[in-house]
Amino acid sequence: MDLDESYVDDRRERANEPLYIPPIAAEPTTSINLAQTLFQPSEFDESLEDQLAQSISSCDRRHPLVSTEIPNVFPHRYDKNFLILTSAGKPIYAMKDGDGTIAYMGVIHTIMNYFKLKEDQDLRCIENGDVRFAFLDREPIVLVAYSARGETSNELFSQLDFLHSYLLSSLSERQLSKIFSKRQNFDLRNFLESTDFENLDEICSLLCERLYPDALLGALRSLSMKKSHRAQLHEAMSQQLTKEKDLPRGTLLYGLIVAPENKLCSVLRPKGHTLHTTDLHLLFCLIFHRFQNLDDSQELWVPICFPKFNANGFLYGYIKFLPKCNSILVLISAQKDAFFNLKSFADHLIKDISSNGLLEEIHKAKGFKISDIPAPLVHHFIYKSKKHVQYVMPELELHSDTEPEQLIELERKFMTYYQQIHNSVVRDDGLAFNKSCLNFIRWDSDAIEPSEEPIAMLGLGWITPKFELYLICNNGVDDKHVIFESAKRIISWCRKHESRLFVNEGAIF
Amino acid sequence: MLQFKLVLLGDSSVGKSSIVHRFVKDSFDEFRESTIGAAFLSQTIKIEDKGSQQEVVIKFEIWDTAGQERYKSLAPMYYRNANAALVVYDVTQQDSLAKAQGWVNELKTKVGEDDLVICLVGNKLDLCTEEGESSSKPKAVESSDAEGYANEQGLLFHEVSAKTGEGVKQVFQSIGEKLYEFKKHELANSKGRQGAGGDTVNVQLQRPSTNDATSCCG
Ligand SMILES: Nc1nc2c(ncn2[C@@H]2O[C@H](COP(=O)(O)OP(=O)(O)OP(=O)(O)O)[C@@H](O)[C@H]2O)c(=O)[nH]1
Ligand SMILES: [Mg+2]
Repeated sequence: MDLDESYVDDRRERANEPLYIPPIAAEPTTSINLAQTLFQPSEFDESLEDQLAQSISSCDRRHPLVSTEIPNVFPHRYDKNFLILTSAGKPIYAMKDGDGTIAYMGVIHTIMNYFKLKEDQDLRCIENGDVRFAFLDREPIVLVAYSARGETSNELFSQLDFLHSYLLSSLSERQLSKIFSKRQNFDLRNFLESTDFENLDEICSLLCERLYPDALLGALRSLSMKKSHRAQLHEAMSQQLTKEKDLPRGTLLYGLIVAPENKLCSVLRPKGHTLHTTDLHLLFCLIFHRFQNLDDSQELWVPICFPKFNANGFLYGYIKFLPKCNSILVLISAQKDAFFNLKSFADHLIKDISSNGLLEEIHKAKGFKISDIPAPLVHHFIYKSKKHVQYVMPELELHSDTEPEQLIELERKFMTYYQQIHNSVVRDDGLAFNKSCLNFIRWDSDAIEPSEEPIAMLGLGWITPKFELYLICNNGVDDKHVIFESAKRIISWCRKHESRLFVNEGAIF
Repeated sequence: MLQFKLVLLGDSSVGKSSIVHRFVKDSFDEFRESTIGAAFLSQTIKIEDKGSQQEVVIKFEIWDTAGQERYKSLAPMYYRNANAALVVYDVTQQDSLAKAQGWVNELKTKVGEDDLVICLVGNKLDLCTEEGESSSKPKAVESSDAEGYANEQGLLFHEVSAKTGEGVKQVFQSIGEKLYEFKKHELANSKGRQGAGGDTVNVQLQRPSTNDATSCCG
């Protein structure tokens, strides 16, 4: 391929080239001495060494595209779409709504029915070269993903499940089936509100264009803050609950403080019960998109169905903006008339935590930078603690003059790296290859212009029963020993600061 | 201080939230998000007791409801205990008046009429003034028609612009005055009470007590 030409004429050239080159499973190329370098060996079972040795492999991905800093090895052309239709084949939503989309849906409907009739089984996935179709049949709704970006089938299914969950959160399963039991070919677009379409757009854009690993990892991002401050917050929540004697049992199901960028700050929950991560993702999306310009003059009372909690019923969320820290307090009840009870709870709680200066502390909790951790040559990472079902990552360090488009570009690039790293350590069905698994992945290409750096990107994915680590190295780094050492340092740093990085139990009642 | 509950009703995007925001924050947001569920706000005003010429402070507790069809079945929860209702339409949208009339009917059948002050409010007046030249829209609802209807039904009537702020304060002022007159009568009639002016009276907020965990809409 003539690189210069493809550089000049972006679109036409790139359309012909493979958008995604699947990893080539190679013999392990690293020579890390596991016996020497294993991090805290006592924590792993004995077979781990074997498993690691098995699973270390290296993948090469060549792609002729260069940009500065962390280079982008992924095509800009955006080959992905989500379609939602009714089981009767009526269109509901398309992420990218081109001219042909509607006709497209008809074809999809026909194909799916064909498989249902002929093969007597549901169509789940079609692959053709680099393009993959994934189908999720959730009578009376059908969801389809089309992607040339190399996600695993499982990732596409979980994205579709997220979109489906959104519809349920807005309508509830019960209402949906009620509508369609009356009229099978009901046009659901007439029933959805403009806010539903906006929310779907926002969720799609989060899934496809932003650094939003929440869905991929099935985890929430947590706010890093001083252990003692978080403990004080939780103490205040618990105390308030003991004080509110006339708050009838069961009125308050769940309480959350959500910091900017949808970081979980603290939790109030009943013993032995947590909300499903997907339900919380939906709630956080709602907060993120709907209530961004909320101010403290208003309190909201919002019915929302948490599909994984109970797809047939609605819960009610009391939502209040917390002054001084731009965070949101959410209190959830199963009773639709509990607003004033929850308001009184919230008023007292807020008074309490603001008199302690805790709102300022939430505001001051600024996260950490990659430079806070002695991990040479690592550009960025995501660390997920499985116990907490939460993840952390260093703040993106941006120039003050970064344009919004540049930020999106950057986030998308990071996200694609992480997706590919993640996919190199999980199977197509989303399960890990092994209980523990470590893998390096490379993206290489020669410089196109003499002024540009050649691409030699190295990434690492490391999954164990306790944590998941995904990291991206600086361009040009290829010393796997050093990276492995850095990875271990990150892990021990995250473990050491665990109670600061993650919301542990929360306030339990 | 007197406390009154006020609810806003009306079709989606007629400007209910914008009116409340103008009243509470004295600001306007061109890109306001459609309300989901309902928003609770409060604001105090001062009115003058016509007899004693004393200032009276009135606190409004306001429910700004969502106009989207989906939330319609939740509305009774908000208007059931209201002292006043602002039924809003958009002066450039004829069918928003029809929706408003629907709300008026619902209020009259579901809420004890004598307790509830209903105010019909036509919003977005700024769109119909000549100043805006190119952006000027035809007025779809004639003031006289809406006013005639309001008189017939015994409603207060105002035309406002949340954008410029024109008329917004007066809406709440006139509702406050009317509620105060009611209250004063009530207080005068109940023996053992002193004159109304300086008293602190809380209009008790009743908390509805239905327990329905499973249904939000319909
Ligand atoms: N020109 C003009 N635009 C207005 C006025 N009031 C509201 N708008 C605009 O109309 C749109 C809808 O206003 P909202 O206040 O959100 O309407 P709403 O009645 O609260 O709508 P729902 O929350 O969906 O029920 C917004 O884009 C406002 O900026 C007004 O007085 N003049
Ligand atoms: Mg509104």
